[in-house]
Amino acid sequence: MADAAVIDVVDAGIRFKRNRRARRSFKDLFSSRRRRSRPDEFWALRHVDFSVERGEAIGVVGRNGQGKSTLLKLVAGVVISDEGKVNVHDGVAPLIEITGGFVDDLTVRDNVYLTAGLHGMSRRQIDDRFDEIIEFAEIGEFLDTPYKHLSSGMKVRIAFSVIARLEEPIILVDEVLAVGDKGFREKCYRRIEELLAGGRTLFFVSHNEKDLRRFCKRGLYLDKGELVLDGPIDEILTRYNADYGS
Amino acid sequence: MHVRSHTIGPVTSYAEVRPTQRTPFARYRHSLWLLTKRDLRVRYSTNALGYFWSILDPLLMAAIYYFVFVFIFHRGSVGEQPYIVFLLSALLPWMWFNGTISDCTRAYMREAKLIRSTTIPRTIWVNRIVLSKGIEFVAALPVLAIFAIVFGARVNIDAIYFPLAIVLQAILSVGVGMIVAPLVVFFRDLERAVKLILRMLFYASPIIYGIEAVPESVRHLTIFNPLTGILSLYRAAFFPGELDWKAVIVAAISSVILLAIGMWVFARTQRAVLKEI
Repeated sequence: MADAAVIDVVDAGIRFKRNRRARRSFKDLFSSRRRRSRPDEFWALRHVDFSVERGEAIGVVGRNGQGKSTLLKLVAGVVISDEGKVNVHDGVAPLIEITGGFVDDLTVRDNVYLTAGLHGMSRRQIDDRFDEIIEFAEIGEFLDTPYKHLSSGMKVRIAFSVIARLEEPIILVDEVLAVGDKGFREKCYRRIEELLAGGRTLFFVSHNEKDLRRFCKRGLYLDKGELVLDGPIDEILTRYNADYGS
Repeated sequence: MHVRSHTIGPVTSYAEVRPTQRTPFARYRHSLWLLTKRDLRVRYSTNALGYFWSILDPLLMAAIYYFVFVFIFHRGSVGEQPYIVFLLSALLPWMWFNGTISDCTRAYMREAKLIRSTTIPRTIWVNRIVLSKGIEFVAALPVLAIFAIVFGARVNIDAIYFPLAIVLQAILSVGVGMIVAPLVVFFRDLERAVKLILRMLFYASPIIYGIEAVPESVRHLTIFNPLTGILSLYRAAFFPGELDWKAVIVAAISSVILLAIGMWVFARTQRAVLKEI
């Protein structure tokens, strides 16, 4: 089992409507996913093939709008491919839209139990980790404050520390960490390094070369919805810089 | 393998991660319960009157219809006596149905951020509405009991059908909810259309009147409304004459068919819905 792939992406593709207001019909909605692409649609990703082994740290590189976040969402299972297969054999802790589960009117305490629970933690697991989560987010005094009264920085901090405590073997990180102050960002990065050292698999989307080199050994280079290059991160970054300058 | 740090807690190694995983079913149930609890908590923690609000609505409506029919029209023939119990015994279930379906029109949109970040089976976004509104319905039943006692309505053996009515209504609500929720994402107008249809359905269903009050010539049509049979089951607890087994069987069959259609629509549209929200 040691070398088993945890993520298998086979010829995956997903298309979106170019124009959100494009005419829709009931027939469209129910038509088979195998149907041919229409002129008002484009493939955000197509013919993407790769697999990831347990414990790998992969950086996804590409310009804006080339499908990086879409790839992450496919792996997270929050969108479904129109073509091919995306098989993820282990649980995923998605650091995507991390504040999504938080409810304005509930207290920080209730929100932690709610979000962690929705991501699959049992009450006892949360009890055990509650203090760590709060300590990490540095918002001990605001435990019983309604979430809506937190500053936006505090909101991100508590959200990150909840998701980062999930006991899932695969971690997906979108550019969420661009927010928050420098000190907290460094803390998040240290946390990610610890998780990696603990044998987790990392999928990391970033524009920051330094961060990519810090965490990742392997890179995926996406351009125009296709996987152009899959190789060691240094090679990927060299190619990316050659293509687009830096 | 443990990696320790003073800023954050220990990281469990891969081997320790596994045993904490639960079966998909247990996880679904747990999530459903969390979301339902959240709904109720939000509703009751942000309003000073809390529980009172959820019973005030049906009470006020009951008061209005009671006033109109009993004091203005002096009509005793719209339903059985005591009319207030007759009314409430169908109005409370109607509130559950009405609240569920109108909330289902926003099931995806309201939770878009959360849906974009979790992979819980998406049927949960409909089921949690049915469940939380159902809990409110059950919580409002003591009010019905109080009115029954005060006005001297007698409970009879047919009250054993009450749970059957709840089950049928839950099936119906989930089915209709799973049709409405995804379609509204694509056709926003449907939200208003659903509200209109619900208002029509309120008067087309035997809530403020009994089946007997419907003229013979159109009575066979009302039987095709699944709510007719379900409401007759609820009412039978106090008014055995209201029980109409033919309507109940039609209701049971159409509820199951609607559930099947709902599941099909829901599964077929899921891919497109996730892209859209």
